[in-house]
Amino acid sequence: MQRKSFVTGLFVILAGLFLTLWSAKPAQAAEKHYTIGTDVTYAPFEFANEKNQYVGIDIDLMNAIAKTEGFTVTIKPVGFNAAVQALEAGQIDGVIAGMSITPERQEKFLMSKPYYNVGVVMAVKQGSKIKSLKQLKGQRVAIKTGTAAANYALSVKDKYGFTTVTFDDSNNMYQDVTTGNSVACFEDSPVMQYAINTGLKLSIVTKPANPTGYGFATNKKNTELMAQFNAGLKKLKANGQYTKILQKYLGTGSKKSQAAANKKTQETDRSFFGLLKANWGTLMGGLQETLLVTVVAIIFATIVGILVGLLGVLPNAFARGISITFIYIFRGLPLLVLALFIYTGVPSLIGAKVPAFLAGIITLTLNEGAYTAAFVKGGIEAVDVGQMEAARSLGLPFGKALRKVILPQGIRIMVPSFINQFIITLKDTSILSIIGILELTQSGKIIIARNMEGFKIWTMVALIYLVIITLLTWLSNWVQKKVQA
Amino acid sequence: MTEENTDRVQMQDVYKDYGTNHVIKDVNLNVKNNEVVVLIGPSGAGKSTVLRMINGLETTTKGHILIDGADISQPHVDINRIREKIGMVFQHFNLFPHMTVLENVILAPVELKKADKATATAEARKFLETVGLTEKADAMPASLSGGQQQRVAIARALAMHPDIMLFDEPTSALDPEMVGDVLQVMRQLAQQGMTMVIVTHEMGFAKEVADRVVFFDGGQILEQGTPTEIFDHPKEERTQSFLNKVLQA
Ligand SMILES: Nc1ncnc2c1ncn2[C@@H]1O[C@H](COP(=O)(O)OP(=O)(O)OP(=O)(O)O)[C@@H](O)[C@H]1O
Ligand SMILES: [Mg+2]
Repeated sequence: MQRKSFVTGLFVILAGLFLTLWSAKPAQAAEKHYTIGTDVTYAPFEFANEKNQYVGIDIDLMNAIAKTEGFTVTIKPVGFNAAVQALEAGQIDGVIAGMSITPERQEKFLMSKPYYNVGVVMAVKQGSKIKSLKQLKGQRVAIKTGTAAANYALSVKDKYGFTTVTFDDSNNMYQDVTTGNSVACFEDSPVMQYAINTGLKLSIVTKPANPTGYGFATNKKNTELMAQFNAGLKKLKANGQYTKILQKYLGTGSKKSQAAANKKTQETDRSFFGLLKANWGTLMGGLQETLLVTVVAIIFATIVGILVGLLGVLPNAFARGISITFIYIFRGLPLLVLALFIYTGVPSLIGAKVPAFLAGIITLTLNEGAYTAAFVKGGIEAVDVGQMEAARSLGLPFGKALRKVILPQGIRIMVPSFINQFIITLKDTSILSIIGILELTQSGKIIIARNMEGFKIWTMVALIYLVIITLLTWLSNWVQKKVQA
Repeated sequence: MTEENTDRVQMQDVYKDYGTNHVIKDVNLNVKNNEVVVLIGPSGAGKSTVLRMINGLETTTKGHILIDGADISQPHVDINRIREKIGMVFQHFNLFPHMTVLENVILAPVELKKADKATATAEARKFLETVGLTEKADAMPASLSGGQQQRVAIARALAMHPDIMLFDEPTSALDPEMVGDVLQVMRQLAQQGMTMVIVTHEMGFAKEVADRVVFFDGGQILEQGTPTEIFDHPKEERTQSFLNKVLQA
């Protein structure tokens, strides 16, 4: 009972600290500033161009409205699901991500007037015999989680007798159809059209169904921002800016004009090296973030791991209990679950945002720290018990005996595990793409979302990981030789 | 400072259980100043356990152990201070493998601020000389023979200036030709008046240095007396059969 109230107290203090830090920021009197979440992979509504800047109908529209209405925005491409969850958790102020206006969403959020009308279409591999919903009987169909197109597919699934497989990302969904794993996919019409015009080997076989509008979403209380969005949209439609934005990304409707529009945002040389050259900056930016996250996480995980590991060998049952519990929980939780819990779960508990980078570092620190603690504890326990007895029999207190006699021997035992853990941490950073950290994997996803060159780009990403891990392994072997000489 | 005939170690009605295994049952054993007590007995009799309880490496289940009158199980008694004056030598030496011989010897005096590093080093060389290993000061323990390692372990214990020494089968892990050197060092200590408790199977040595021999069996003291009493006129049948076995070997 006592312990529980202590933990609750700790949370309250931490939450309070967060809130004070937040409110301590000087209030901006002049212009309101909003953080808006968007998808990473929803061309032509949002995608990174070949210079790795975020562009697209949603982005341009949001910026234009902010300008007319006199506020500023930071648009964060965190992924559709992450954006919606972040909005629910109060991490961000709004979402513009090709989000269909549905009754369920209107119940949860404020939704703007529709800024673009779409219908759901079905697309199949080029040359496929399947031309209609009726032919889907007994077949597998790819959908993307949380989209209106997915809801449509699920609503007709029983009627036409097909099964579904769910993806988190449009490109993965398309690839499932081009590889033949699924026979068809469902997608909003302009998005599907854009991907096909950009070179995706699919074709649309149905007329747009279930017409809905895309809307901008805020949480229920943010009526001010919502009113500004609606007012701004109306002005842009009236002054012609709205049409200009659409034409910039979709051309005037024909395939040719779409291709011409694409030229402005796409790589011209589609060979492996052409793409590598064009995306070198983006990939290196991703790599830099990966290395930054890795280094920071390794430092914290090592500190936490050593402390928790040491707790686990103290002659005190309570300390050992803490250590065992920590290792049990954070080694047991899948990294992905832990990342989502900290990024989207914890904020609703403490009532304050957890920035993605911080959430990522905490996630890795807890997970890698638990593994580190386990082998630190194991390394110490692997030292002959006679060593501790000999040290204690000389009159050395426990702490001194541990530091001078046990740890130097334990560390030699632990060195290979530390190196292994560093490599694992580097690889585990890729999972943080789920919370929108722009590391190497996420950079790859973003490039592919624009140019649909999955095979070539993933090859590049894989090679970069391999090169870095090889370098790290060499470095580690060298260090290991030094330490164990 | 401590007078002849005062009890340095007092074990009063001591019991030790490991779970349901009653390892030590009602042991009373006192060791006087300058006395050399040798514990003998069959394997599993509890000799090591008794030795380890004297410097607090094992706790007692029941009863009291007093060192110079201080009950070591009392929370206000600083066990580390008590251990400083009780040296212990183990069957498997337990030298610190990541340190040189000299570093092994000076670690405790320097860490516990008994001496600055220079003084401790000078002293350590003196102790290494006593055990006949001056030239090995900078060697790593792994490069020494068992007998040499055990002598380093003795020097390491002596560096804390203990006035009680505990030996737990110090020669059992040694090749026969190494045993003599180690016993010689122990003999010297006994002659200098060190208070010693020794567990050993070296009966000849026991006979020679012991003031008192204590025969343990089944966690109890079965019989004790002078070497002559125990070795030449044992009263208990089990003492006799034990001695027959070890002396034949
Ligand atoms: N840590 C422990 N946990 C459980 N039982 C133990 C432990 N240490 C010793 N014992 C048991 O206590 C009894 C006495 O052991 P002890 O080592 O004191 O015997 P010993 O007389 O020194 O024998 P030896 O001549 O073989 O060294 C044995 O039965 C042993 O199995
Ligand atoms: Mg023993």
